[in-house]
Amino acid sequence: MNIPSLDINTNVGLSDFLTLRWALIVVGLIIGGSVGLYEMFVGHILATSNVVVWTTPLITYWFLALSSTGISILLAYGMLAGNQKVTDHTRYLLVLDLALLIGGFIALATELGSIINMINIALSPNPMSPIWWMGNFYSAKLVLVAIKLVRELMGVHGSVDKPIAWATLLISAAAAMTIGAAVGTAIGRPDFQGVFSSLLMLGVAMAAGLAWIVVLKRNSELAEHINGISRQLAGLVALFLLLNLIYDARATSEGLIGWVNPLMPLLFAATAIAGGAAPRISAALTLVGSFWVLFSFVISGQLWVFGANTSFYGEVQRHPTRVIVIL
Amino acid sequence: MGYGMIIDQQLCVGCAACTIACKAENNTPVGFNWCDKITSTKGTFPDVRFEYISTMCNHCENAPCVAACPTQAMYKDADTGLTLHNPNKCIGCKACVINCPYGVIKFNWDKPHANWREGDRVAEGCFSPKELVEEVGGDGTPHSNPERDATYPSMRARGTVEKCTFCDHRLAQGLEPACVEACPSGARQFGDIDDPDSDVSKLMVKHGGRGLREELGTKPRVLYIREYGPQRRS
Repeated sequence: MNIPSLDINTNVGLSDFLTLRWALIVVGLIIGGSVGLYEMFVGHILATSNVVVWTTPLITYWFLALSSTGISILLAYGMLAGNQKVTDHTRYLLVLDLALLIGGFIALATELGSIINMINIALSPNPMSPIWWMGNFYSAKLVLVAIKLVRELMGVHGSVDKPIAWATLLISAAAAMTIGAAVGTAIGRPDFQGVFSSLLMLGVAMAAGLAWIVVLKRNSELAEHINGISRQLAGLVALFLLLNLIYDARATSEGLIGWVNPLMPLLFAATAIAGGAAPRISAALTLVGSFWVLFSFVISGQLWVFGANTSFYGEVQRHPTRVIVIL
Repeated sequence: MGYGMIIDQQLCVGCAACTIACKAENNTPVGFNWCDKITSTKGTFPDVRFEYISTMCNHCENAPCVAACPTQAMYKDADTGLTLHNPNKCIGCKACVINCPYGVIKFNWDKPHANWREGDRVAEGCFSPKELVEEVGGDGTPHSNPERDATYPSMRARGTVEKCTFCDHRLAQGLEPACVEACPSGARQFGDIDDPDSDVSKLMVKHGGRGLREELGTKPRVLYIREYGPQRRS
């Protein structure tokens, strides 16, 4: 049997890993892994309460899953539009896509209280629930990306490539939008309500996904090629945030706290403008901005306290996070 | 059939007997009250008004928690209209907590009743909490109610949510919820709110019931009648 080469570089020594980047990765894995395992199986150390229940792990999941969505959409677009500047990097993009999505699922596992009961997503489905759809879309995306990667590594290409690309494109877009719907359909929480959250998630997915490539694939033709699109997307997110800011400022709805910090649209606008001169720094700031947007959005919707909880927490509360949780 | 509760604000004296009865009946952990209260003070001295509203799961007809739950762990019971929770299906995603507009669903971040697992004794010769549970028996706490286990675990699992069940284990035995039975002023009435001949329906017709945050369209099944106000006796 002819086993295809996986192009694994065997000319790597221990000294290649003694770098700042690998040191940070190891520290992150040890601290983050310890916190995650403790949270999953032992006790609880996350900064949460009976009121603010969705916090940094879930936001990290959103951030990583949306980032992978952006990469999936870019790759599907490259395949369907025959853009060789994108498809030349298919293998790299698939690995990055998969790594981000798996990282997201690990963060989500930290957030979920009973991961063993996850089997009930399949055994006892509730199609009325946006979270059920989101979970299934992202699971389907994981399978599709894995299939594409295996086919790519084995050098198998054929007529099913395009249907798979279409499926990835549609499922990725739907997955990002159902993340928004998971909060956008919550009633009684003014900051979460509305279809805008689905559009916001799609915008953040594209901006963050492309920013990852510009940051990681430095001095490459691909990074140069997509930097322009990345800047336009950052500009689009800036405009979207600005509209939200204006709407929140004008709104008189009771309980509307307003989640858009005035610096957010400024940050995205700055990355869009400065992206030409300093693409990597701008892309890195786009990633920071994307996480900030998601953090602010997810937390603000929970700050309005309901019912008897007001006796203990007050009507509105604030939510500080902890450095160890971000790690 | 659909169970519902009427709370007469004129009769409620704010004694919290309902809260205590619920706690004893359902073995809720420290900090969790399935039956709780909203208290608010309005106005300025001397025209000050204190309001006490007893709350719990509203067992909404259009329950947002049920719609949000991805695994049907939160569900509507077709026979009774109750909104119930199956902890064996709960993945701990907390979507129900986010979606409940009444703030009555709680999440067990840790295994409940942690204080009863402590091994330290206050003084020699005393029981430690852990030893006391072992000596007295009980499911996690010496105060646990074994009857609760009939329909819902009295010792809930870490990583799952919990909320009021209208004491479904008591209803199955033909009894009223513990909070209704404990109310000293008879402010709580419980029954089939879908039956126009039931006492609760008659009270609704007489006084016109209202639910909390009805504008959201949840159709709560805990309804309030009358306002609390001092009555002049001639």
